[in-house]
Amino acid sequence: MRVGLVSPYDFATAGGVNDHVRHLAVQLQKAGHETRIFAPSSRSDVGFDAARFYRIGTPIAIPANDSVARITLSFHLANQVAAIVADERFDVLHFHEPLMPALPMTMLRMSTTANVGTFHAFAHSNIGYYYGRPLLQPYLAHLHRAIAVSEPARDFVTRYFPDFPMRVIPNGIDLNVYKPGLAPIRHLRDENLNILFVGRLEKRKGLGDLLRAYRTLSTRVPETRLIIVGDGPQRGRVESFVARHRLTNVILAGYVPDSVKPRYYNSADIFCAPATGAESFGIVLLEALASALPVVATEVPGYMSVLEPGRDSITVPPKNWRELAASLVILARDGELRRRLGDYGVQKARRYSWETVAGQVVEVYHEARRALAAQPATEMEVTGVHHAV
Amino acid sequence: MGEWTWRAFKIVQSLVERLPRPWAYALAVMAARFAWWFSPLARPRLEYNLKIACPELQQDPAALRRMSWLNFRDHAKAYADLMQLPNARVETMRKLLKVEGWEHLEQARAMGKGALVVSCHMGSYEVVAAIWSATLAPVSFFAEEVEPRPLFEWYRDTRARLGISVLTLDHGGIRKVLDALREQEMVITAIDRDIIGSGYLMPFFGKLAPIPLGPAAIALRLGTPLFPVCVYRLPDDTYMAEGTPLVFATSTGNARADQVRATEQLLRRIEQFIQRHPEQWHVPHRIWAGSP
Repeated sequence: MRVGLVSPYDFATAGGVNDHVRHLAVQLQKAGHETRIFAPSSRSDVGFDAARFYRIGTPIAIPANDSVARITLSFHLANQVAAIVADERFDVLHFHEPLMPALPMTMLRMSTTANVGTFHAFAHSNIGYYYGRPLLQPYLAHLHRAIAVSEPARDFVTRYFPDFPMRVIPNGIDLNVYKPGLAPIRHLRDENLNILFVGRLEKRKGLGDLLRAYRTLSTRVPETRLIIVGDGPQRGRVESFVARHRLTNVILAGYVPDSVKPRYYNSADIFCAPATGAESFGIVLLEALASALPVVATEVPGYMSVLEPGRDSITVPPKNWRELAASLVILARDGELRRRLGDYGVQKARRYSWETVAGQVVEVYHEARRALAAQPATEMEVTGVHHAV
Repeated sequence: MGEWTWRAFKIVQSLVERLPRPWAYALAVMAARFAWWFSPLARPRLEYNLKIACPELQQDPAALRRMSWLNFRDHAKAYADLMQLPNARVETMRKLLKVEGWEHLEQARAMGKGALVVSCHMGSYEVVAAIWSATLAPVSFFAEEVEPRPLFEWYRDTRARLGISVLTLDHGGIRKVLDALREQEMVITAIDRDIIGSGYLMPFFGKLAPIPLGPAAIALRLGTPLFPVCVYRLPDDTYMAEGTPLVFATSTGNARADQVRATEQLLRRIEQFIQRHPEQWHVPHRIWAGSP
């Protein structure tokens, strides 16, 4: 099959959706399918085979969902996209966040092939979906099949578009990359117990709660270290919190390349994911589980779709740093519990291997092609409003 | 004093990491000019070392001055590279590195006993180490614990971000070096300075200097090949990593003599590196007795 994967986000910036697209493309290619990626990019070099990557549009940063979405809003994509799509003759176009302007919506509008959409996001509410329903409904109707990465992601979409059928296929994990037994960052393997956080430093990731919990933990279990991997707008606040409270053994590693990240997991004893809400899945949880790390996480819907409390993790209510601290103390003091949770995590991560996940996605592609054959598609009617997005 | 050194470093570093590379270099060259004129000890020590490494400079004060200035300038650029590391990406750095003598590294790795990369204080090691760490095998630096402590921690954490472990010259560090080599990783160290004061006196550019025997001792113990590498800056501000044939430490039953023999072989290579690129041998420190 010839498959076009469309991401709305800046492909030069690391993020859950882009990682998903990248891995899926590689896995489909391994399975004998021909893949192309379409995405905006702030850099020409995105670390992906240039012959299979189409850079469409220039991304701009837009605040969304307590985070920053780097998407293109260019009004001049249509001609460029039309020429490429006509030339490539895809069997399937797979849109990630198909209702995100402007690239996925533009391509979906002009696609005449089998269209599949994957919804990644979760939020408590979405003003765009609420007021934009009349405009967005025709786009959804143009999808032959839809996927959500988790139950919360599906519920989020169906809240605004009831009766829209979606199949849940989770994010995948590369078990050849994330596994126990890799070389650690050696100077981090000492007498200290390492607690690892991985994620963008932004409010919704709950790092403030983790820092408060760590402050309590370090008084109860002195030989601990907090390793923070990731960068983002909250970095200054994190640095000033650490300085103000004279927290010792806190490492702000900043952005860590993908090639090095698995070694940080292998340098840690506990993984902590203290997000406060808007998480649809939590790929970092899979990375931690695959690396045999016990997890302490908050009970946000996206995380709970992955975790099994008591078997692979300890979970606490979101925004409750006291319970977070108590859970960290329990795990820090109980090596046997850490080992047991970690062992189960490794077994469980196998269910999420990219081979398995990509196989399920290909099934959906076949279903979409059958649906297209039953009812051939035409380009969506183009109205002035559609041009505007 | 230590606290203020650290704060000053962090302020400058925060500025430099945000600058485009050419601007960072321009700032570095200005700082180098200032340091070259006003450093009370670094420049006399460097010029003393250069006169021993390149005897022809003893007869030519103008050439010596020029060489020491170029050395300060390249050293400042190496610092700028270091300060930019927190935002550096391996993919970007990879384009800046040229490699020669790659086959020797392949040969070392094929032996399955890790690789002990031995060099001198020359060029921007982090760039090479980060690329090797991302593409070949995990890399550890066997390095001194600089003062003040927060500065050392910054060095360590910044290198760790690129996959480089920083192991200190103490018993715990040595144990980790052995572990790393046993797991076929690469360890990088320099032998042109005796940092902890336990060096063995041997001729270095024909004059006795204390030289660490540690790398040779480890190589003897584990059978790890020693890989002499020269890392230097090219005129267009890209980097060259030049590998030379492996040195093998062989046991004859006299451990000290075996260590000295292997270290002497390494030193001859190091001398060649320095004589070819004296402007990039960044050692404004006391190596030989009689240095200022």
